[in-house]
Amino acid sequence: MDISRQINLTHPELEDLEPFLDETPELVQERRSQGRIIFDRFIRHRIAIIGAIFLIAMLLFCFFGPLFWKYNPDIIPDNVVTARFNAPDLAHPFGTDEVARDELARALAGGRVSLLVALASMLGAIVLGVGIGSFAGFYGGIIDNLLMRFTDVFLAVPLYLLLFVLSATFTDGSPLSVVILIAIFGWTYAARLVRGEFLAHRDREYVLAARAIGAKNLSLMFRHILPNAAGPIIVNSTILIGANIILESVLSYFGFGIKAPNPSWGNMIADGQTYFDQAPWLVFVPALLIFLTVLSFNVVGDGLRDALDPHMTER
Amino acid sequence: MGEYLLEVQGLKTYFKTKAGYVRSVDGVSFGVRPGEKVAIVGESGCGKSVTALSIMRLIEQPPGEYIDGSILFDGQNILDLPERAMRKIRGGKIGMIFQDPMTCLNPTMTVAQQIAEGLQIHLKLSRGEAHRRAISLLEQVGIPDAAKRANSYPHQFSGGMRQRVMIAISLACNPKLLIADEPTTALDVTVQAQILELISGVCHDFGTAVILITHDLGVVAGMTDRVVVMYAGKVVETAPTDELFANPRHPYTLGLMASIPRLDEARTSDLKTIEGAPPNLIQPPTGCPFMPRCVFARNICRTMPPLEAVAGQSTHVKACWVDVTDPQTREQAERRRLARMELKQGIIKEAALQTAEEK
Repeated sequence: MDISRQINLTHPELEDLEPFLDETPELVQERRSQGRIIFDRFIRHRIAIIGAIFLIAMLLFCFFGPLFWKYNPDIIPDNVVTARFNAPDLAHPFGTDEVARDELARALAGGRVSLLVALASMLGAIVLGVGIGSFAGFYGGIIDNLLMRFTDVFLAVPLYLLLFVLSATFTDGSPLSVVILIAIFGWTYAARLVRGEFLAHRDREYVLAARAIGAKNLSLMFRHILPNAAGPIIVNSTILIGANIILESVLSYFGFGIKAPNPSWGNMIADGQTYFDQAPWLVFVPALLIFLTVLSFNVVGDGLRDALDPHMTER
Repeated sequence: MGEYLLEVQGLKTYFKTKAGYVRSVDGVSFGVRPGEKVAIVGESGCGKSVTALSIMRLIEQPPGEYIDGSILFDGQNILDLPERAMRKIRGGKIGMIFQDPMTCLNPTMTVAQQIAEGLQIHLKLSRGEAHRRAISLLEQVGIPDAAKRANSYPHQFSGGMRQRVMIAISLACNPKLLIADEPTTALDVTVQAQILELISGVCHDFGTAVILITHDLGVVAGMTDRVVVMYAGKVVETAPTDELFANPRHPYTLGLMASIPRLDEARTSDLKTIEGAPPNLIQPPTGCPFMPRCVFARNICRTMPPLEAVAGQSTHVKACWVDVTDPQTREQAERRRLARMELKQGIIKEAALQTAEEK
């Protein structure tokens, strides 16, 4: 104790130095927020950046492209007979289909539906999964048991078969019905993941400390733990979008998903395969778009996984 | 002396395990007066932290169970309060500082948000007001450039700074009692004194009573009014700090003090320790729990000694049959200590010889 008194802790000369210490670049760099650090790490991941740029371009094209593109995806032009099965050229970059509609306009419209369905069903699945997983992980015990057995039941169901049966009987081929259907079956992995995260976080000291200032359980769950578990959930979401695009395509391809007149990448492939000999681009265009989009979502997910991993050290 | 702010009476907190109940806290009683600074001292695993968490009622149930006793805070028994009322006490009336500032701040919230949270919960302040209060609290705990640093995240602070933030969080709502659970154990020695002085100073300004949990008697000497010495889930001695240091009456306290390394000792002399380890808390010995390690032990120690006032000292209480001040007893104990050391060294030597022979 005596030693500490002998050392003068507030030396006037030291205080004069403080403004200079503030200016050093290291300290300025230190003051990045968590989000900023993650972003900086993400943009170093080159493949993920290519994927992200592709996805942003794809979203812009699909949602704003139709405003500028001269052809309407639904109107069958008068010169059907001469203009059908046009191979890709300058006027129709992706060619035309069996009733002379512009394939690019169709692909954009289909992409809008496919992406919207995938995003919306991902959101639905994540909300369901986070809701169920967080309660199971946070409360543990019997609540955990009940919720997780319920999840197991869903996981044990042969997904595609049930989807086909359900969509054949309950859905009307509208995008919303497909979204609900996909979301209902997509939440299980998210729920397991979130449960694991909550289980790991609820005994951390910062949660105990938050309890010690009187925070309620709901606040502990969603204000304290959820942001700390956000990394894996975000990664899971991006990969889930990719999976949902494929799921939607498969459903639509077999005629159980989005139905005409709404185009989607899945039913475009189904429609196009009839004319594969005359116009292979009718299959290749939507198939390639699905492939590239899903690939992009997966590499972005991968990049996010690395960027959000707290064990990754700064390079 | 006045009324107690906090009065723990016969508290028993057990943990259920497959092997049986672990009696982490086994009949602890002590009191804290308003504005008083009380230290709880003892080695690892003696029930200090469990006592603290019991007062906050933050023991996970199960496996924890409050078997018996009461914790009176402001006249209410904390153990009987509904969870709702308990939440008002946590952070509002009793603040708590944890051992490791590296892990007990939320990495995804700014420090201002974390300080503001308690203010929003208990004082129902608006977000803006709470933020302003948070900044002034940061200033009070000695964070330079508080307005700017308030929006930083915990990882941008050093250990000492984080502990300052913890102090600001725990004192935000001006609680009547602050529980500091080994607040300096995880810190650099150079920062420890600063943090202790800060706690001491801020609590003095706010009129906050403090329970300081530590295993470091040096810390105790500097900043507390009274000391509670715990061993194996029980209180073995309680006394005003000066009295305890001048006149320790329990063999365990004596042992703790003897084991503080001294600079003026010869370099070659062995550091003094208390031989042995604390007893198994699942089946503690029926008598005095310290008996197996005690150099003063005698037959009467097979029955549990009551916590009784030391003769002539109403504020000094101990749980020991032996009068350790008696010179003859002391001499005998010292002889026994040396004999034990020799025995131990003999065993070590023998073992060393044996391994040498085997080779």
